Amino acid sequence: MRNSLRVFRNSVVFLCTLFLLNGCSSPDNNKAKDETVKEKTSQTTDTVVLKQMQFIPAILNVKIGDTVVWINKDLVDHDITSDKDKAFYSDTLHVGKIWKMVVKDSAAYHCSIHPTMKGEIVVK
Amino acid sequence: MKFLKIFTKAAICVAVSTGFLSLSADAQKTTKLTDPEIASVAVTANQIDIDYAKIAEKKSQNADVIKFAQTMAKDHQSVIDQAVALVTKLGVTPKTNATTKSFLAGAAKTRAMLNSKKGNAFNKAYIDNEVAYHKAAINEVETVLIPDATNAELKSLLQSAVPLFKAHLAHAEMVQKQFSK
Repeated sequence: MRNSLRVFRNSVVFLCTLFLLNGCSSPDNNKAKDETVKEKTSQTTDTVVLKQMQFIPAILNVKIGDTVVWINKDLVDHDITSDKDKAFYSDTLHVGKIWKMVVKDSAAYHCSIHPTMKGEIVVK
Repeated sequence: MKFLKIFTKAAICVAVSTGFLSLSADAQKTTKLTDPEIASVAVTANQIDIDYAKIAEKKSQNADVIKFAQTMAKDHQSVIDQAVALVTKLGVTPKTNATTKSFLAGAAKTRAMLNSKKGNAFNKAYIDNEVAYHKAAINEVETVLIPDATNAELKSLLQSAVPLFKAHLAHAEMVQKQFSK
């Protein structure tokens, strides 16, 4: 009698646990998945072309988490250097090469080889 | 007093008209450059600035001057490489001409002048020459080489070099400020 009561109690606990796990976790998991997809699709890749001794566009509006790609289509080598605190530096970007960076904050930048070349990333 | 005013006006008239006469005489002398001649002028002009840069890298102790000279050497070599690649592709052989010879003669005098100077006098002479040289080069490219070029790719290369030379000029003028105080 005691044994069958224990088996019955264990079965009830198991079934309740199963029900709770199924009932509670499934919609949340789906929601989380949806949010991940949304986040991924909302992050974009923006391009800055280095051409005729300019960053084009000179001012780029972005969101945090966006990727910015710089493409050197000029006659000579350049680099991308943050104006403040050495926050980022591309190293020499040779002609025809690209450099990518994920945006963390707004930043003004320049080419350290050609100091008249200036650009800006603005987080909106 | 009246005589002085008339004399001054006459002197200005003579100076201006002489200037125009010499300009028109130069213009009459100048015949249109061919593409092989333009290639020669372009390569020579870039090489001249590389040679000035090498002198600066050797003689200057000023960080801004050295950095500027290093940029000139790299950038002008890059332009030469692309010009050579283009003329090779087009089967054009650069042809020495009066403009090339004139550039080379001027460059020999400038190199001698630079080599005779030391310290800050050298820095000032080098950067002053870079400002003047880039102004003259931009003028030559915009008013002679681009209009005279017949091949579209050669014309395009010359056009894309203008913003580079203008950026060099602006950079040189930035460095020049510290020596004009």
